[in-house]
Amino acid sequence: MSSRPLASTALSSRRRVRVGQLLGARASVGAMPPPPRSRRSGSTPWVFLAPNLIMFTIFVVVPILGGLLLSFTTWDITNGWPKWVGLANYHRMFSDPLVWQAVVTTLKFIVFGVVPTIFIALGLAILINVRFRFVAVVRSLYLIPAAMSYAASAVVWRYIFLDGPGYGVLDYAISRFGITPPDWLASQTWALPALDIITVWLSLPAATILYLAALQRIPDSLLEAAALDGAGLVRQVRHIIWPGVRYMTVLVAIVALLSFTNGSFDLVNILTKGDPLYATQTLIYYIFVNGFSYGFFGYAAALSVLQIAVVGGLLLALRVVSGLVRR
Amino acid sequence: MIRSTRFTKRIRIVVAVVVGLVLASPMLYMVAASLMSNTQLSVQPPQVIPSSLHFANYSDAFTGMTQVIQLRSFLNSVIFTTGAVGLQWLLCVSGGLAIAKMHFRGRSFVTAMFAISLFIPIITTLIPTFIVTYELHLINTYPGLILPIAAQTGFGTLLFRQYMRQMPEELFDAARIDGASWWTIFRRLVVPLAKPATAAYLAISVLTAWNMYLWPLVAAEGGSLQVLTQTLALVGTTGQGEVTPQNVIFASVVIVTLPMILVFIAVQGAFIRGLTGSGVE
Repeated sequence: MSSRPLASTALSSRRRVRVGQLLGARASVGAMPPPPRSRRSGSTPWVFLAPNLIMFTIFVVVPILGGLLLSFTTWDITNGWPKWVGLANYHRMFSDPLVWQAVVTTLKFIVFGVVPTIFIALGLAILINVRFRFVAVVRSLYLIPAAMSYAASAVVWRYIFLDGPGYGVLDYAISRFGITPPDWLASQTWALPALDIITVWLSLPAATILYLAALQRIPDSLLEAAALDGAGLVRQVRHIIWPGVRYMTVLVAIVALLSFTNGSFDLVNILTKGDPLYATQTLIYYIFVNGFSYGFFGYAAALSVLQIAVVGGLLLALRVVSGLVRR
Repeated sequence: MIRSTRFTKRIRIVVAVVVGLVLASPMLYMVAASLMSNTQLSVQPPQVIPSSLHFANYSDAFTGMTQVIQLRSFLNSVIFTTGAVGLQWLLCVSGGLAIAKMHFRGRSFVTAMFAISLFIPIITTLIPTFIVTYELHLINTYPGLILPIAAQTGFGTLLFRQYMRQMPEELFDAARIDGASWWTIFRRLVVPLAKPATAAYLAISVLTAWNMYLWPLVAAEGGSLQVLTQTLALVGTTGQGEVTPQNVIFASVVIVTLPMILVFIAVQGAFIRGLTGSGVE
């Protein structure tokens, strides 16, 4: 996956630096044509880059490459140096049933979270893409959850999810419709969807903002003309809105994917610890347990390689899907 | 015709407000519950509007038997956030300038490296990052808490690069002819001109750092370096029948989240620009 969506498309700003104003400050030199000079800047770039690159190397590049090496060793980090064991960690990984359960749980958590996030965010963006007097206040309602941490959300949602119609707000609301509410965090079926609900809620603001930015590039006159021609909402979405915002979906999916990757640890560690019966044990949580509870740092490193492969695989799948949709 | 479109618009606004209230309801409930008495909070069926306002819950969160928030943790969160974001900002602006406006061999390689790192967030390299920090003897120290996060420069560097690439080339040529060194250009020209990018960067990074949970959890096991997300995680994990009353817990969540809500409201525009790179009106 190239960096294009994040680095170029998303950030391709329409801002213009006010050239005239800037040059005005130095008008005296502006009149003189610049003499031909070498475009290379000597060692200066490296002086400017050095602090950044040194830190980046120590804490990003070394961990990525070192993690790969570490995955061929066993080590509990307190005793001596890592011991080379070849592919043993990978063999163990393939025969560890908890690994496969964790991979499936992670994929379920991400896919069943990211896909609804995309659809709901598009709906919300369409909904708030109207102009009226207090639109800024109303939009704040949509965006404010972005200020919440996973930890804070976990505390609040734990109480909302309290089981039994007499206790939790949500269960009470559901039971009013005559539906028996599930046991949420204590249920093997519903614990993972419950974590998904929290993460979707936390991911919606960013996703909605991105779609809103795309929507606002569609000229109002186009939608008004369509409405005057009698095109209903469904036809407007199909023929004008979706073609206009489609390009943004890849970025929305990537941002949501990364947000769900983070959520797959924070919420699990605070709310369920992988329970009930491993139903919410995501791969990241299993890595954490292996490293920090059991001290299997070599094995945890091998699992981290798998984790990167899983996220990479999802990004690749995303690319294939977006290619198919574009066609 | 006009009347019917106006009517449609009015319905749309009402729907937008209702849906917005539903989306914000967990936070509204959080605030309401933080002001309830504990009796009201545990009454059946559950209630959502406080019958009387118990502001004492907020002071209870800081003192006595019900204490949730240590001032030390608050301070730690402030130190961690300002330290990590401040340092990272410096790294990103200077590095961004280098790859946006200077010409050197290896520039596209460095740029690509930053871009790739966006897809390998620290959570996936937690174990080796912990080991590097451990081997540097930085676990349970402020530098160990701050430096590995400040070093995640991929996003910020690319954000500043993107912004600076649009600064006119003539501007830099002119300054060079005037005899300005790159250092002067950096300080007097680039940093002031990049203010909008800085605002966008800060909006996103401050939120991320304040809300970060996993790295402080492993980098500061000791307790004296504990940050506020860990504090919340602790009261969030304790099961029912716990010592801390639920209303005080809600008050604590509000106290921890409030600074970010204020930050978010103040810089909402910059946050949106940082995310989209364009103006949402």
